[in-house]
Amino acid sequence: MQRTVIPALLLLTVAPLAVAKQPALRIVGLHLGMSHAQAQSRLKEIGQFKSEDEGQQVWILSHDQRYQYAIVGFDRSRHLRYITVLARPEGKPVSYSDLGDLASATRSGGPGNLRYTWKARDDIGGFEYLVIAKGKNNRYLDRYAVKRLGVESETEDRDN
Amino acid sequence: MSSHASSVTGATRFSLRSGIILALAAFCFATLVFAATPSSSTLNPVNGSSATWAGGGIAGATTDETTCVDGTDCDVYTITLTGSPANYKGLVLAISISHQVKLNDYDLYVHKGGLTGPVIASSTAGIPETSEAVVIDPTVSGTGVYTVHVVDSNVAPGDPYSGVASITTPPADSPAHGTAPTYANYQSPPGLGDSSGEPSIGANFNSGRIMTQAVFDTLQVTFNTNTSPATATWLLKDGPNTSITTLDPILFTDSQTGRTVVSQLFGTTSLSSFTDNDGETYTVSQGGGIASGVDHETVGGGPFRLCTADQLLVTPAPCAQLAVRGPLTQYPHAVYYASQDIGDAEMALSQDGGLTYEEAHPMYTLVDCGGLHGHIKVSSSGIVYVPNKGCGSTQGLIVSMDNGLTFTVQPVTGSSPNSSDPSIGIGSKGRVYFGYVASDGHPHITVSDDQGRSWHGDLDVGVPFSIRNTVFPEVVAGDNDRASFFFLGTPSAGDGTGADTGTPFNGVWHGYIATTYNGGKTWFTVDATPNDPVQLGVICTQGTTCPNGTRNLLDFNDLTADKAGRVFAAYTDGCITAACIARGNNATASHTRLDNDQATKATIIRQSTGQGLFKSQDATPLRP
Repeated sequence: MQRTVIPALLLLTVAPLAVAKQPALRIVGLHLGMSHAQAQSRLKEIGQFKSEDEGQQVWILSHDQRYQYAIVGFDRSRHLRYITVLARPEGKPVSYSDLGDLASATRSGGPGNLRYTWKARDDIGGFEYLVIAKGKNNRYLDRYAVKRLGVESETEDRDN
Repeated sequence: MSSHASSVTGATRFSLRSGIILALAAFCFATLVFAATPSSSTLNPVNGSSATWAGGGIAGATTDETTCVDGTDCDVYTITLTGSPANYKGLVLAISISHQVKLNDYDLYVHKGGLTGPVIASSTAGIPETSEAVVIDPTVSGTGVYTVHVVDSNVAPGDPYSGVASITTPPADSPAHGTAPTYANYQSPPGLGDSSGEPSIGANFNSGRIMTQAVFDTLQVTFNTNTSPATATWLLKDGPNTSITTLDPILFTDSQTGRTVVSQLFGTTSLSSFTDNDGETYTVSQGGGIASGVDHETVGGGPFRLCTADQLLVTPAPCAQLAVRGPLTQYPHAVYYASQDIGDAEMALSQDGGLTYEEAHPMYTLVDCGGLHGHIKVSSSGIVYVPNKGCGSTQGLIVSMDNGLTFTVQPVTGSSPNSSDPSIGIGSKGRVYFGYVASDGHPHITVSDDQGRSWHGDLDVGVPFSIRNTVFPEVVAGDNDRASFFFLGTPSAGDGTGADTGTPFNGVWHGYIATTYNGGKTWFTVDATPNDPVQLGVICTQGTTCPNGTRNLLDFNDLTADKAGRVFAAYTDGCITAACIARGNNATASHTRLDNDQATKATIIRQSTGQGLFKSQDATPLRP
């Protein structure tokens, strides 16, 4: 009995490590799909409003050691469609691998213009999303975005 | 190891020593042979204070000031103005250069401070010419150091220039000279271009044809000049993948190579093709190269930025970096694609004529500028520009000097943000004309001679028609001193570009073209649709938040010039029925959106008479 329990425990311990780390759909306490009001409330907690353009807002993050700015956009039902954060110069660096398993990401670009893209699914919300990390440095990112797929932006053009 | 290291160091020392000796020798040679003589002067705030100098024996050919090498094909003369700016009240600093041979072309740039300072005046006339001259007001520009930069645009050896700088009284203001151009309108035939918002237009210098695209239709337009007025033949020439669906249509024609790229934004990518025979056949391309751009795409192109042989000798390392981003195929020019998404705007370079694109490089984020931008333009020396309607408290110009690798955001000082995308035209020697709608709705244009680092000559070109609301500024330039600026405008005051939720805006919109032949000092503004309004009532520029019936023209128009310098504007006509046109021409009638046709008809304005944008073509007058 003991012989079977130990390997089973070992398996339980190792199994999570073997599963690729799915990048989070949440950044600085903001998560995709949250309402406009919830997002505003959270943004006011963590930063100061800077500007708005075509419904997209720029916020200066007051105390985050990693990120200096957050940019957010909403869908037509006024739920958070994307969040982009820009790394703070001289701040605490964030490596691409901090976000997720690099082996499961699509790597594009090259030295000086690197991009990792993960496509993931939020089973609770029932939607797919992209996580995109970009940077000039091969190890640390300059910007990081999560973007919900399958929804149109609040002001998305329809020229036909 | 130590010995090896020492050996390397020794070699390096030898190399450095040799290099220093060679550089010193080259410097002395350049100084002795090429430098202006004397190299500087000091002028005082007294009428008649003056200095002369003899230019070095420089010779060569450059594209613009950014491609010359001092001591080889350009040289420098320094002027110091003493006293304070107030001492120069009623006086100006006049600087001129002259030479003998009409077929040689020198250009004159004056920087405040050193060569990296702003260009506050320039004179860049083309062949034939034997002189260049500028006038500077020190009460505005200040005293201290001015650097005169004389550049060989195209100079054969043996024709040295001489220079004069003097403090004198201001010359009398000269009004726009010459004759204002005239224009004719060509509407697309029934069944073609009937749903034609936000058109693009391009001119193929090789075939002489015009290409235009709006929404689903790509149209080839041939003007028969055997008759006068010329007649137009319109043919549908859709690309294989650009008439299926559309979010943002765009067409770009590289006038020099004759290649036309057509593209339709398609979710997070774009559907794109190109043609080298004005739409007879197409090659389907990769599309934009940006995986996530979802709005307001733009395509542009032109020469790669590559070093001249002289630059290669002086700065080999940066030249090698530029060369890496040069052409990879027989197609000689760069093609660029830009779009926006998730808080930033990016641009991707194609090194194979638009067939494939690299991974896009970031241009700016919403921290720097508003998300949407205007259309890409590329200078003859390969500098890439993208205008933006709001970068902080001014409009902005995004500039790349390295084939789209890195970007700088330059504020357009003196401007103010608005909801219409600005546009630029680039003169043959690099002068940038930035056409924009100011925050008060007036059409403005301003000029930069230093890649957007400084701006001068900002003018409201709508004054002759008392224009109070403006949309869709579009600019094209030819020679450095010649440019045209197309816009839709109305003299009616009020919110002519809003959502029209209150009392309906009452206004008649026409298409106007302002043209300069003297580098932006003066402009002829002409109503190019005098008897046929383009729109009645509001033209909403608030994107998808615009109510139905207010955004039929969508977001922009376009402007180009053919090989003769004749100007062509593409616009969407929203008022096309006899009844609508009659109402528009009746000053006492109602002119709200309820009186408009809400049509979207493809129409081209063609310059009929007057000088074109190329001085070399002036000898052959344009015929209607």
